[in-house]
Amino acid sequence: MSHPLSQTTATTAKPEAYYDDLLDADSGQPEVISLNDVSFGYSRKKLVIKDLNLSIRRGEIVTLLGPSGCGKSTVLNLIAGFYAPLVGTVTHCGEVVKSPSARRGMIFQSNALFDWMTVEQNIAFGFRFQALSKYEKQQRVKAIIQLVGLEGSDRKYPYELSGGMRQRVAVARSMVVQPEILLMDEPFAAVDVQTREGLQEELLKLHQQVSGAILFVSHSIEEAVFLSDRIIILDRNLGGIIHDIPIHLSEPRYVAMNRVSDAFNQYRTELYVKMKAIS
Amino acid sequence: MQINLPRKVNTVVPLSGPDLQTQALREKAIVFGVAIAIPSLILILWEITTRQGWVDELFLPSLSGIVTEFFAMVRKGYSGTPLSVHVFASLKRVFTAFSIGTVVGLLLGLLMGYYKYVRAAFYVVTELLRPIPPLAFITLFILWFGIGETSKVLIILYAGALIVMLNTISGVQSCPKDKILAARTLGANDMAIFLYVILPAALPNIFTGMRVALSVDFGILVAAELLAGNQGIGYIIHDASTFFNVEGLFVGILMIGFFGVVSDVLLRFIARRVVHWQG
Repeated sequence: MSHPLSQTTATTAKPEAYYDDLLDADSGQPEVISLNDVSFGYSRKKLVIKDLNLSIRRGEIVTLLGPSGCGKSTVLNLIAGFYAPLVGTVTHCGEVVKSPSARRGMIFQSNALFDWMTVEQNIAFGFRFQALSKYEKQQRVKAIIQLVGLEGSDRKYPYELSGGMRQRVAVARSMVVQPEILLMDEPFAAVDVQTREGLQEELLKLHQQVSGAILFVSHSIEEAVFLSDRIIILDRNLGGIIHDIPIHLSEPRYVAMNRVSDAFNQYRTELYVKMKAIS
Repeated sequence: MQINLPRKVNTVVPLSGPDLQTQALREKAIVFGVAIAIPSLILILWEITTRQGWVDELFLPSLSGIVTEFFAMVRKGYSGTPLSVHVFASLKRVFTAFSIGTVVGLLLGLLMGYYKYVRAAFYVVTELLRPIPPLAFITLFILWFGIGETSKVLIILYAGALIVMLNTISGVQSCPKDKILAARTLGANDMAIFLYVILPAALPNIFTGMRVALSVDFGILVAAELLAGNQGIGYIIHDASTFFNVEGLFVGILMIGFFGVVSDVLLRFIARRVVHWQG
């Protein structure tokens, strides 16, 4: 399927052959991100993560769950390249991550929009650093504005938008440059329940069309079950990954009725019990 | 089974009392009224007490006497020099010093805010200079730059530049970290982050610094014009004081106040347009 945001070849997209060496034996999908025996602490005396191994495959949505302080956000920061591990390596398609890159997008809880730019300028920000024609940039911005339902708001400034709309702009801004993985640090935690559910459904719809992987950090079991192909539970006190649970809900995933299905409730109960055991 | 449905509740609220918009307008009108009424009352009391001879004219001249003195200055000038020349001389000094001081303060502040090594290099000097009133340097400036125009402009420039610099440093440092990180994950390099993220984020602080600097510059102007020279509003204040021309003294003081307020209103107008997202 051709990418909905690009009529021409995206500069960041890798050719299929590039992934061949990285194909995962289980899923048939290449590994995009891999953490190999990673240990990290903001000081050497106090580690936050110890000997962590994790792999994210192309196109999958993985959610990290776990108690506060277990290192969920730190994993995202390491993958983004904001910090370097004290021990071990973080690799992206086989290359060691050394610094942030447009190939790994990040969405923060605070949305981190540029208040001095319009919605359109915010979304187009990443294009300043890509060699694309002006026409193509405009087309891709236009396409993503439509995809996230921001038509009519493109000339507005972030302060003129609701919390949910601001978060939509943040998602669009990160997705328009087509990162191979999108890192989302509790992006919907600051909005009301109804808006959050709407945003979750939109994210899944977007993900169907934009094929990158998503690594999501959440405190909500419901959010994790609804969004994820796989849920990883991190233990407190440097315990690392204690559960890696694949989630199989009916397709298309974004259908709201998934939230009340038997399968959904079973996963929720299972996760609740597992989370309770470590809290 | 009969289900008892709740009785339909009449949701129409009788309209009584002002709505929020009317209330807000009324409050605005009261605030405006108070802002006009109190100074008017002070001016009336001033005129009555001086006309009735309750206060010696040597300490407080009548308002009408000050107005008469002002128009006499407009007609005949002061000390043989037209009033417009005095005003122009002062405004030229203050705006030359303010413009250059803003550029210098801005550049130093940006460098010190962004580069920690530059900040470290100037830290001790800045912290030493911060509490020293600029007027303490006035004799040194005369010694170094002579008693002419240069030392006058430089002392005003120094006072303003220091304030703009300190505010710029704080503006650069207050740029939210997640905005910088978001820009990095969108492919921005250091220069792009500085231009498109840090500089705009620092603008509110920079404008606050400029407004404070401008008002301080007017204060320093009066002191600087006490030095040798025979032109400027500060000169009028100094000369009128020497000869106990209290009306002339008040004309000078009120002119400084007037030009200070007008330039601040102008700067605030520009700030509102440039930093529109601050509301």
